[in-house]
Amino acid sequence: MDKKIETGERKTVNWVKIKRLLKGELGLILILVALLAVFSFLSPYFFTSKNLLNITRQVSITLIVAIGMTFVILTGEIDLSVGSAAALVGVTTAVVLKASGQLELAMIAGLLMGAGIGIVNGLLTVYGRVQSFIVTLAMLGVARGAALVWTGGKPISKLPADFGTMGAGYLGVVPVSSIIAAGIFVLAFFVLNRTKHGVYMKSIGANREAARLSAIPVKRYRVLAFVISGVMSGLGGILITSRLLSAQPTAGEGLELNVIAAVILGGASLSGGIGTVLGTLLGTMVIGVIDNGMNLVGVSSFFQQIVKGVIILVAVLAKRSD
Amino acid sequence: MIRVAGTVLKLEDINKSFGGIHALKNVQFELSEGEVHALLGENGAGKSTLIKILTGVHRMDSGKILIHGKNVVIEDPVDARQKGIGAIYQELSLIDSLTVAENIFLGHEPVGNFFGNLKKKELTGRALEYLNTFGIEIAPETPVSDLGLGQKRIVEIVKALSINANILLLDEPTTGMSKAEIDTLFSIMDDLKSKKVTMIYISHYLDEVFRVCDRATVLRDGENAGVFKIGEVDLKTLVRAMLGRTLKEEFPGRSGFPGRETVLEASEFRSEGMAAPVSFKLHRGEILGITGIIGSGKSELALGLFGVDRKVAGEIAVKEERAAITSPNDAKRRGISFVPEDRKVQGLFLRLPVEHNITIANLALSMKRGIISYRKRFEIARETAEKLKVTPLDVKMPVQNLSGGNQQKVVIGKWLCGATDIFILDEPTRGIDIGAKTEIYSLINSLADNGAGILIMSSEFREMSGVCDRVLIMRKGSVVSELAGEELTTEKILTVALGG
Ligand SMILES: Nc1ncnc2c1ncn2[C@@H]1O[C@H](COP(=O)(O)OP(=O)(O)OP(=O)(O)O)[C@@H](O)[C@H]1O
Ligand SMILES: [Mg+2]
Repeated sequence: MDKKIETGERKTVNWVKIKRLLKGELGLILILVALLAVFSFLSPYFFTSKNLLNITRQVSITLIVAIGMTFVILTGEIDLSVGSAAALVGVTTAVVLKASGQLELAMIAGLLMGAGIGIVNGLLTVYGRVQSFIVTLAMLGVARGAALVWTGGKPISKLPADFGTMGAGYLGVVPVSSIIAAGIFVLAFFVLNRTKHGVYMKSIGANREAARLSAIPVKRYRVLAFVISGVMSGLGGILITSRLLSAQPTAGEGLELNVIAAVILGGASLSGGIGTVLGTLLGTMVIGVIDNGMNLVGVSSFFQQIVKGVIILVAVLAKRSD
Repeated sequence: MIRVAGTVLKLEDINKSFGGIHALKNVQFELSEGEVHALLGENGAGKSTLIKILTGVHRMDSGKILIHGKNVVIEDPVDARQKGIGAIYQELSLIDSLTVAENIFLGHEPVGNFFGNLKKKELTGRALEYLNTFGIEIAPETPVSDLGLGQKRIVEIVKALSINANILLLDEPTTGMSKAEIDTLFSIMDDLKSKKVTMIYISHYLDEVFRVCDRATVLRDGENAGVFKIGEVDLKTLVRAMLGRTLKEEFPGRSGFPGRETVLEASEFRSEGMAAPVSFKLHRGEILGITGIIGSGKSELALGLFGVDRKVAGEIAVKEERAAITSPNDAKRRGISFVPEDRKVQGLFLRLPVEHNITIANLALSMKRGIISYRKRFEIARETAEKLKVTPLDVKMPVQNLSGGNQQKVVIGKWLCGATDIFILDEPTRGIDIGAKTEIYSLINSLADNGAGILIMSSEFREMSGVCDRVLIMRKGSVVSELAGEELTTEKILTVALGG
């Protein structure tokens, strides 16, 4: 008799588990598979290993920045300054690279600039008690302006060729930037799920007061999330610069919108506490596949924006209507 | 239409499942005009679910709802309101940033006929009228965020009344209320009764049920377990119907004794939130109660001790060593655990799994070499949930899917699984059913028997006298009396706390 009860219990648990999966990432995977099928049907070139690898290259920068954004959104905040931060970091890196000729030094300087932007965003939000939407909106202007003023509005070009490996190089057939993005993904996955830092940041977004009363150093971790986002935007900026071998003060314009769309599409909640990096990866892939596929099929770039907007909306709605 | 007193509401064969959980199974329920009908049962029995079906929050899977003999479908809360059903939910639903008046009339504000603009003056005026009718002294312009828990409940009640409901559903309405507020509620209920308003009353405080109810329907595991006339039934029978067994003793005995060593000492301690300084000593193995009516400053003291509110005067010593506690994190590092008063705001991550909630405060226990082990975390959560009898026992489920009392068990579990030896528990058994309470008292006892010092804040005087070795009574922020041994009785606490 005991056995009977146990199997009964197990059955319900499995059913619940399946539902949970569907609510989580499985839905997005289905959307992604559907998109892949549609575009493969429409373009013979789409489903080739070359193009698929190309997609991973195209999404790598968005993915890296979106992973940083995931941390911020998880804590219940937003970072609108990522695109501008990427540009300013790109310029910083290029300037130091030109002056010193040292790649490592230039990159460290760039990443420090990214971290600095994150710290300012974080301190103003957490200790200055200004909404992150406002703080990072201001930073969006300030960082972009700084990049423009610093360069006089002109790109810094003719960077040494070996700097281009990161953004444009290949390891065998695999783009280096895809490998970097994959590395960041694994690292972020680990931090979010397997370390207290990630679990704490998630808790803060879910209920800040309860987090504080659970003995979590809330302020420190809220700032940390912005720093992570700053550094990730910085890495994105370095990759953009490397890819073009030129630092454009206008780089990454509108990047924040793509990135936020990817994170929300990935199932994160703007009110915090809910979201995964796997979701962010899938969200980024969906957007990347749409972009790539429509280009191949030859949809006009004006029309692409409409289609993309609609698909994102439908995907988010479909995920919710469970 | 003239109506004879008869059946106002009838529910037939109501079924409701959530995923794999069958919350209500063929439930029958009947409500006679003008009665106050208690709905009783253990945590998770399905009481709140039944209420939410009646207000259209949940859709039943099958069954019939008859109002005055007519089959009705309740689409949503607006529809329920139009059918004359008002409710006060177990979890507060007021909007903190709005005023009392705005909250009361939310969704049916008096509007001008031009552009539907809000008539602020009329809003405030009518709210004041309502508040006055019920003898409640709260200014209608007060933002709800400034109110205490009990006052918020009163506002919820006025809100429910403002629609002139003829069926009123009250789900654990006295939670967090002071004795005076409860008396106000009961006199409001008497008044409504004389106006032929019919009420469903859910509570785990059976003394309240005996005071105000006419009949009681008991649910057990989502099924009917009897209907009783309150005048003809005794406490034991009701409890047996609820639990399916008899309850031997409400307050289990202890095997240990308080020791000599002081584990927590406050000397003229005062934090920002506190009205006056407080001094006390908590010993190893001791269960020390701090009681007093709501508003006497117990919770403020708790928040101060745990470093949530900033200290402004005096000293705290932990294990006979002066301690500067400036954050909950400091407090935890000194071995202090804290179960806060308000589970929804201070205690839980509602959308996150039970597992996360239970392990978050002592995450180190779930880690191996600095890395979280999924298995260890699951095992700790499962073991703790099992010990506290959380049902359903599914630690991957978001806490918000648990019944109110089961959520409270999770809040306790969050700190119970730790290795600390000082516990501050603020109203730990709030919303927990009579059977599970006994389990929790046993757990508290065994913690103390194993050498922990335990500080319990509670405004339930019976609980205090039943569980504690010693009780301090607070009034207006100060400790006014200490009771122990023979003197420690419910009656004595009552007289002192109320100012005798
Ligand atoms: N939204 C939901 N999703 C999943 N399960 C739910 C949901 N709401 C309630 N349940 C489940 O339904 C059952 C009945 O819950 P309900 O809230 O009605 O209990 P209750 O009798 O009010 O208990 P309590 O005394 O603790 O308030 C519980 O097992 C609970 O976990
Ligand atoms: Mg309930």
